[in-house]
Amino acid sequence: MNLSLIDPFVLAQDYPDTLTEKLRSGHATCLRFNRKGDYLASGRVDGTVVIFDIETNGVARKLRGHTRQIQSLSWSRDGRYLLSSSQDWKCILWDLKDGSRVRTVRFEAPVYIAELHPYNHLLFVASLFEDQPVLVDISSPKPIKRILPSAPFRPPPPPDEDVDPAVMAKQAAQDAKHSTCVTIFTALGNHIIAGTSKGWLNIIETQTCTTIYSMRLCNGVVILLRLSSNGRDLLSNSSDRVIRTIVMPDLSRLGVDLEPSSIKLQVEHKFQDVVNRLSWNHVTFSSTSEFVTASTFMNPDIYVWERSHGSLVKILEGPREELGVVEWHPSRPMVVACGLESGCIYTWSIVSPQKWSALAPDFGEVEENVVYMEREDEFDVHPAEEVHQRRLDQEDEVPDVLTIEPSLHSTYYAAPVSDPAGHPDGDDLGSFRMPVLLDISDSESEEDIVAVGPGTMRRRSPGAGRDANGEGEKEKAGAGRGGGQRGRRRNA
Amino acid sequence: MNMSPAKRRRVNPSPSPSVDDRSIQSPVESSSDELAAGSDRDEAERRRASWSLQKVYPPQRPYPRSRSYSGSESPDELAVDAEVYWRTSRRGRGRPARPARSPTPTEVSEDYQDGDEEGQDEEQEEEPDEEQETEAIGRGDEPDREETEALGRGDDLDDDHDDHRERDRDHRDQTMDGGADDTPMADDYEDRSPTPVPPPPVPPKPDKLEYRAKFLLRGHLRGVSAVKFSPDATMIASGGADAAVKVWDTRSGRLINTFEGHLAGISTISWSPDGATIASGSDDKTIRLWNVLTGKAHPIPFVGHHNYVYQIAFSPKGNILVSGSYDEAVFLWDVRSASVMRSLPAHSDPVGGIDVVWDGTLIASCATDGLIRIWDTATGQCLRTLVHEDNPPVTSVRFSPNGKFVLAWSLDDCVRLWNYVEGRCIKTYQGHVNRKFSLSGGFGIYGLPGAPAEAFVVSGSEDGAVLCWDVVSKKVLQRIEGHTGVVLGVDTCALEGKRLMVSCGIDGTVRVYEEADPETEPTEPETQPHTVQEESQEKEAPEPQDTEMGEGE
Repeated sequence: MNLSLIDPFVLAQDYPDTLTEKLRSGHATCLRFNRKGDYLASGRVDGTVVIFDIETNGVARKLRGHTRQIQSLSWSRDGRYLLSSSQDWKCILWDLKDGSRVRTVRFEAPVYIAELHPYNHLLFVASLFEDQPVLVDISSPKPIKRILPSAPFRPPPPPDEDVDPAVMAKQAAQDAKHSTCVTIFTALGNHIIAGTSKGWLNIIETQTCTTIYSMRLCNGVVILLRLSSNGRDLLSNSSDRVIRTIVMPDLSRLGVDLEPSSIKLQVEHKFQDVVNRLSWNHVTFSSTSEFVTASTFMNPDIYVWERSHGSLVKILEGPREELGVVEWHPSRPMVVACGLESGCIYTWSIVSPQKWSALAPDFGEVEENVVYMEREDEFDVHPAEEVHQRRLDQEDEVPDVLTIEPSLHSTYYAAPVSDPAGHPDGDDLGSFRMPVLLDISDSESEEDIVAVGPGTMRRRSPGAGRDANGEGEKEKAGAGRGGGQRGRRRNA
Repeated sequence: MNMSPAKRRRVNPSPSPSVDDRSIQSPVESSSDELAAGSDRDEAERRRASWSLQKVYPPQRPYPRSRSYSGSESPDELAVDAEVYWRTSRRGRGRPARPARSPTPTEVSEDYQDGDEEGQDEEQEEEPDEEQETEAIGRGDEPDREETEALGRGDDLDDDHDDHRERDRDHRDQTMDGGADDTPMADDYEDRSPTPVPPPPVPPKPDKLEYRAKFLLRGHLRGVSAVKFSPDATMIASGGADAAVKVWDTRSGRLINTFEGHLAGISTISWSPDGATIASGSDDKTIRLWNVLTGKAHPIPFVGHHNYVYQIAFSPKGNILVSGSYDEAVFLWDVRSASVMRSLPAHSDPVGGIDVVWDGTLIASCATDGLIRIWDTATGQCLRTLVHEDNPPVTSVRFSPNGKFVLAWSLDDCVRLWNYVEGRCIKTYQGHVNRKFSLSGGFGIYGLPGAPAEAFVVSGSEDGAVLCWDVVSKKVLQRIEGHTGVVLGVDTCALEGKRLMVSCGIDGTVRVYEEADPETEPTEPETQPHTVQEESQEKEAPEPQDTEMGEGE
């Protein structure tokens, strides 16, 4: 509702520029916004998942179940379920309605990344550490795991041609060296995109778990794959220090007028720091996938490139530590990143100045001096009753106070505020509401922040049994500020 | 408008020194405005106009601060005008009207030049003047008055509000008569009232509402200042000057729960969107949460306001609570941690009303400084300020159901509907009395099934009625009598296809009304509402004085 009142110039700016917030709950290592963008899930080193309310910057829920560092988080479409994967070889699907565990899936290895199917929260893919990736169906209490192939797709040899067994053997040996590092679903969930340690991309059909297409992307390991919110662009981070954006074909047309053999994945942009040869910790698309953002290795900066020309538009600065996971808000120009050293979550967004004319209705903001033209009747005097009656008579509008206009904002401004991806079921975003827990903050503050004196606090160590005394001064300062954001502590 | 001769004479700024006994009038003392106004004749007209505007809404501030009514006068000038005005009107009672005086902005200083005797005289009169003006402001703002100190909005609910009204009316009459002692004092008040007669209904679309009394809920020991349906409409929460929140069952009118814990009267309550929690704001400066399901109080009160909490509202997600206070601030609370998340430097006068738009992105606040401000929830910035030309104190504000308009109650007997995007007042609803209390109300829906829903505006009135206006035509659809005192709060809802309304008032009762089925015969004999009395009331009945906490005085 506020869009009609906000300065359109502020709305037109679509990437953040200022460090605005610092959230803290333990040592966060991974972050993920829900689709609506009102909650931010963060995984901690100690295995706790903390969900922040972006509107209040407070902790909305804590989920305890993992014992090791959280590796990845994935929200269901309606925001009710959250899948967390951890180095303790487990994936847990949480129901945020009551904070309970829906399913716990154990693997034979630590989990790299697990991602929920975009429409079915009882199906997910997981890439494992030095193991085969799996597609896991958890619709029944006993999970069904199906192993996904890592080897690149070889077009079947023509039937009339003999195949040399030696070549076959060599290929098989090569294929065996591939291991999948990252798996994600496509926008509709019919296919899985997998990146391998040899720099290949595989497209795997979800239904059959067979590879239908492969391409060689780079020489290094594919570290991370991200899909834009509309599913048309793919972003990859690889160990050759190049970030690539790839235009995705419309895989829903497979079998209609698109053959798997005619799929072409085309690299659109390559982003790299040619001078410093920086490598990138984590990459993400902006909400509209207009921008690409990356946190840098051994560097406290976040780079923002725009995609139409492929140019660097902004380097976000602020914290003095190296940043790990970086995430872009699904609808607003807002970037969050977590510090590797302190585990703080930093937030960059746009700070719009107060319009002073908004404070007084008879004030206007002008660029330069204006000669005031007096109205003809400006100083005419009318009897009060007459004025009052005329005012009442002029009130002949027919206001509609009931009808809520659907998607008012999208018609007002071509701002980045719109239904992500424009999916037909975009309206299901508001269907789930996380209950507001009133006792969350108590357990929070007592556990993490210990007041040692008036106005000073220190953080209790995230790991069990370890003592915080050995931690540096910087750590304490960070903890103190983090506590300050939770006002209760500040008042205390 | 016709003026009494005495007034006209007094207003006339005759420059002749023979009439004006003060011979020294330095040119410095005439304001630049006056010079700009052209001839003296124009000046007189203009001034009269501004004064008569004031009569529509008498300034009710304890201090001579006033905003420009006519748009052409400087605020300073008007402020002095108002003071002169009050003083002369007071004086008019005791002694004959003064000879014509020039109403220059330097009136005050002139008075002191005038002679020691008169100057002292006026000095003495200054005090009662201020006191009375303060009383005229709704909700008993003055903390030093004993009987109202702990009550806030529902102040002097149990004591003689008639007395107040009498004084208030008296006060207004003086305003009308302009200090001339030759006009009758009070008897001609009725026909001078700007209250229009409700126009006769017109045939198209439902032209009247048929809400009938259903329950009369007794249980509060003192006046009830706020009443709200739960989000699912199955319960009614009411809070009042007895510092208790009571929860009633909508279907049966049975008392479900009573929450006690506040140390002073409650001015406002709000249901959390999930219906599990009630928040109450009190004159003990705290906001408390009550769990409806368990019947327990939330252990941590929301402490932070420096003065009475006047109105609170939950955000639609229930994670933020917005509160407006007598301390002129608007606080945004993180409900989970019970801490202030943001403080809006909202107003320069006590904040009377607060509301949050349906999607939670905007907050509306209003204050007795006459301003309605629209805030961005996410950034805390003021996006728009609405002010009516006459600048009456605004005591309550509500967003329309679709959030495109703002409804504001002001102490000039008006409820106004604002288009806040364009900053225009588009409708003025009149017919009720609202001069000193912070009334509130809201929107309701009417119309036959099948037909498009029409909206009405509902408000209480200080004469004990509940009024419903059609939003578009501004006509009074129904006037429900019943309360014996000021009706402070009204809320509407729909439960199981039936449209209900609930009102509360200074008489300590909560009344539930139900819309009569349009098909059924209107000759239903059951006009007497089913009275529901709290059983435990006679048994324990704690002393109301116990709830009065010393406010630091």
